[in-house]
Amino acid sequence: MSIELSQDVIELLNDRDTIKVLASVDGNGVPHAVFKQSLHLGEDGRIHSLELIESSTTGRNLVGSIWFERKVTILLRGTDKRSVQIKGRVLKYHITGPLYLHHYNAVRERLGDVDLAGVWVIEPEQVIEQSFKDRRATEDAAHPSFIHLDRIAAH
Amino acid sequence: MVALLKPRYREESSFEDTLAAHPDFPRLVALKIDVQRRGVFYTPRAEAAVDPAIHQLRSPYIFGSRDGVIKPLPESLLLRDGSTILVDPTPLEQAPYTVDYRDGRFVLLDEGRELEEVDLWPKPAYYDKQTSTGLPMSHIISARPQRLNVFQSSFCYFWAENEGCRFCDIVTHTKQQRDELGVPNRLRPQDVKETLAEAIKEPGRFTNLCLTAGSVIKGKEIFDLEVDFYIELLQAIGENFTTKKFPSQLIGSAFNERQLRRLYEETGLSSYTSDLEVLNEELFNWICPGKAKHIGYKGWRDRLIGAVDIFGRGNVGTGIVGGVEMAQPLGFKSEKDALESTLSEAEYLAERGVTTVYIAWVPRPGSAFAGQKAPSLDYFIRLARGLQDLRIKYGLSVDFDDYRRCGNHPDTDLARI
Repeated sequence: MSIELSQDVIELLNDRDTIKVLASVDGNGVPHAVFKQSLHLGEDGRIHSLELIESSTTGRNLVGSIWFERKVTILLRGTDKRSVQIKGRVLKYHITGPLYLHHYNAVRERLGDVDLAGVWVIEPEQVIEQSFKDRRATEDAAHPSFIHLDRIAAH
Repeated sequence: MVALLKPRYREESSFEDTLAAHPDFPRLVALKIDVQRRGVFYTPRAEAAVDPAIHQLRSPYIFGSRDGVIKPLPESLLLRDGSTILVDPTPLEQAPYTVDYRDGRFVLLDEGRELEEVDLWPKPAYYDKQTSTGLPMSHIISARPQRLNVFQSSFCYFWAENEGCRFCDIVTHTKQQRDELGVPNRLRPQDVKETLAEAIKEPGRFTNLCLTAGSVIKGKEIFDLEVDFYIELLQAIGENFTTKKFPSQLIGSAFNERQLRRLYEETGLSSYTSDLEVLNEELFNWICPGKAKHIGYKGWRDRLIGAVDIFGRGNVGTGIVGGVEMAQPLGFKSEKDALESTLSEAEYLAERGVTTVYIAWVPRPGSAFAGQKAPSLDYFIRLARGLQDLRIKYGLSVDFDDYRRCGNHPDTDLARI
């Protein structure tokens, strides 16, 4: 189910200094994760990712994601150490048209003589705060019995 | 009338039921096949939403359409996985899919049920320009989303001898395009060179070009003149590139070794395709009488295999008209037998470095098979899977003829993963 990203997550996603990782799986369930600094919020409110290597493992996996409804995960880590995980559905792949052309020109201006295979569109479905403090609070609330007794020993 | 004729396809299993039997087959590729098989009808609302300034309208093509008329309708469709559906307008009475315009987007429907959002092909910038001889550039080279098509000549000498392939409407359509649009019978290399120069100015738009035409049997040896035409054209095209070789495909007749070496050595051509059309000698003799008479099935096949020594594995292919092996009265009666026979012969070719790709047979009104019915979706799914499995088994790539560089072969779409 599609969700709208909150403003703070959008800022984290669009920040050039944020470390961005895109994880996908192949048809055998083998995971594959890559740094993907091109991840950003598109004008359509969805997450866009540039594919510079057409036959890359990520590219092939994302084709499989469109075809077989396999989810992908994006991991963001900001300069302030804030960490967010976004799970999403691969919705579309632009290989031509105005959006593609915009990025084709922009990426070549930025990186020189490179090619652009396409622009992936990922629909966010879930955002999970991954910072230890947030994850610990969630865990404590959901599973109060998951604790070693020495931590609550009186003496 | 529509209701009476629709059961033509409804006698088969539904799309969803067919797909359920193939859980490992991509739904979007299956949909592409079915749309190619059944055709599309553009609603008046969709037609009204077409903007000729940004959408590519139908341009000259080597084959005709199922409605047999030339109208300014969208060229074709893009699915959201970036793949292309090459499909032509089809009368409603043939039960096609429908393209409508709803809530600001084009959508594909079947019996009123919305299946997918689709995009129309964007119009290339050069379509608004003319050559120095005053011809519309769209008449010289036609575009797909990522490929350029050069139809050097749509005339086929097999037709002149009344021995054209029975599924083909190439000459019928050529005459129609010449009479109604003024499309030249044969392209001048200079016009092609100028048009290509303009086309590849557009950033990120095209990844390869494909040349094809009807067979020309004239020359000292058969097809010498056809080869001469292509060499002249490819050399003119090559002047537009900085590299000797450029991503390209020639779909031509079955040339001999000398002719193939000339093509490889004297031009920038990077891949070679020659269509066997149907992978069965008896059916080839019936369906492709001109090819059978002049070269023969085994001769055509041997020349393809010989081309691998020149162009290399993964750069030689043959196209088949998937499903035409079931044309009646002489074709296979069962889909199982047809599939086994076709894949067995495709394996013979794959073992020897030749890849086989298919287009879905559409019994066109201008062909000898007009009015016949193509096989089921299930058949085309099995054929696509079978051909791609052979490529995997024999380590054959199909980069020159894949979803982006061609877009008309469901089996090569599967090479994406």
